[in-house]
Amino acid sequence: MGENMGNQPRHSGATAAADLVHDGCGRRLSDGEFDRYSRQMIVPGMGKEGQLRLINSRLLIIGAGGLGCPAGQYIAGAGVGTIGIVDSDVVETSNLHRQVGHATARIGMKKVDSLITHLRGLNPLPTYIPHPFHITSSNAADIISQYDLVMDCTDNPATRYLISDICVLLCKPLVSAASVQKSGQLIVLNCPPAPQGLVDGKYPPCYRCCFRKPPPAGSMISCGEAGIMGPVVGMMGVAQAGEAIKILASALHVPSQDSLERNLLQPTLLIYTYDLESAVGPYSFRALKMGGRKKNCFACGENSTLTLSGIKAGSPNYEQFCSVPTSSCKLPPEERITAAAYHEARERGEIPEHILIDTREKEHFSFGSIEGAVNVPFGKFLMRAAVLKRDGGSGSDILPTKPANVDAPIFVVCRRGLDSQEAVEKLKELGVDNGGRRKVIDIMGGMKAWKEEVDPTFPFI
Amino acid sequence: MTPKPPKGHCNILYFASAGSYTSKNVEALPAPLPLSKLFGLLEERYHGIRAGVLDHSLVTINLTYVDVPGAGEEGAEEIVIQEGDEVAIIPPVSSG
Repeated sequence: MGENMGNQPRHSGATAAADLVHDGCGRRLSDGEFDRYSRQMIVPGMGKEGQLRLINSRLLIIGAGGLGCPAGQYIAGAGVGTIGIVDSDVVETSNLHRQVGHATARIGMKKVDSLITHLRGLNPLPTYIPHPFHITSSNAADIISQYDLVMDCTDNPATRYLISDICVLLCKPLVSAASVQKSGQLIVLNCPPAPQGLVDGKYPPCYRCCFRKPPPAGSMISCGEAGIMGPVVGMMGVAQAGEAIKILASALHVPSQDSLERNLLQPTLLIYTYDLESAVGPYSFRALKMGGRKKNCFACGENSTLTLSGIKAGSPNYEQFCSVPTSSCKLPPEERITAAAYHEARERGEIPEHILIDTREKEHFSFGSIEGAVNVPFGKFLMRAAVLKRDGGSGSDILPTKPANVDAPIFVVCRRGLDSQEAVEKLKELGVDNGGRRKVIDIMGGMKAWKEEVDPTFPFI
Repeated sequence: MTPKPPKGHCNILYFASAGSYTSKNVEALPAPLPLSKLFGLLEERYHGIRAGVLDHSLVTINLTYVDVPGAGEEGAEEIVIQEGDEVAIIPPVSSG
């Protein structure tokens, strides 16, 4: 408006303010909006136009957890006009160290309702739409089609592939973040959106262009199992909100030739690592230059057969795609024992001298263990096994103790009973079973089973 | 800060599950090293890492994405990791 100002008498007070932000399409910012968004509107590049675009935008947050909470706060604060939130979970105490949109008083409430309560407190102006259920192959397209931009704040690979595929097919930009333990990732996908199959030129990548194959099911650790530092996931969620606001305010979500040309910008994967052990260089950001759309991509590539109707009918099967078994460990029954049976045999004095190896991480071990257990974290165990195998050392060097009786049996326990089976196989491969004279036995179901079958007070995390 | 690799070496950075698998954040490997030989070399050092981590990870050299040729597959033009390069192994992270 600045260029017209010289020709017009100056108003004063609120009226002038409202005039200042008069929109060409007839929309004015209300006084309330003007006050609320003034500090971001005066940032170069944002302005009245950017603000109005935010107000007229519809944004979907999938997942109201560690990413969705911090992201939602800034999305609501910035005044995105319609904010949808998908989540089927309820608030639990163990969420609260990182899921800052919930509260102690709302434990047990649906996460979507809890987060909307919080966001309304921050900013009552946007329209909030709860979707209190899981996103699935059958409902994903119907939900996503109602929005301009999607934020993936979910916690599992199958859903990540599903959301990305739907976004490709519906031409929606996707701001995807993920975080576990001490690291996080952020990438803007399919932005500006380009139709599926368009590959002759520079087009933005989808999730599958970056991560073609899901990791083996067993290797994918969740926050519940591996842990997560609040500030790490919070940082990723906030950065995710920043990207979403930028896209909506500058209309990069609108699939036009113009916005496609502007995407000659480099797709970037932001990686954040937070090193708890190192006093020097305690954190690091890396911005990695990613490639564009892949010609042979299953979802967005030139010969893609992916369709909305196919997905709705269950093809591809995302659960199956993401649950490739890690290893086909099949120990015979005589090499396994239940936690209860092991406990009873011990109580009866049937296994006097033996080695009990606990392969959990040392943090888990530190909260409690079975009496006499020696901690050898699984990662370290695998590495030692690989070195012994390569250098041909004595297999028994991998054992944490050397009992007088070289045939004293070995029991292995882990957290939930998978790593211990692999450890038993490895020990046999290394010849620790002394040609079968020594028993190497897996305690089935790990410390989880120990808590359920033997000691209900055991502090299992 | 990552230490500079010694002469005749490159740095390999291990992120997320790659770091848990190797119990390292970074290590130096002899360079030059053809990119197509990288996964085989790591598998020798960390048995099982190929199927468990590498096959679904993305790889960057000096902060730029590279396509890793599959086993026995000859890339059109072979990328060679040079002395002093920083190679990153980045598995997908899913949680949130």
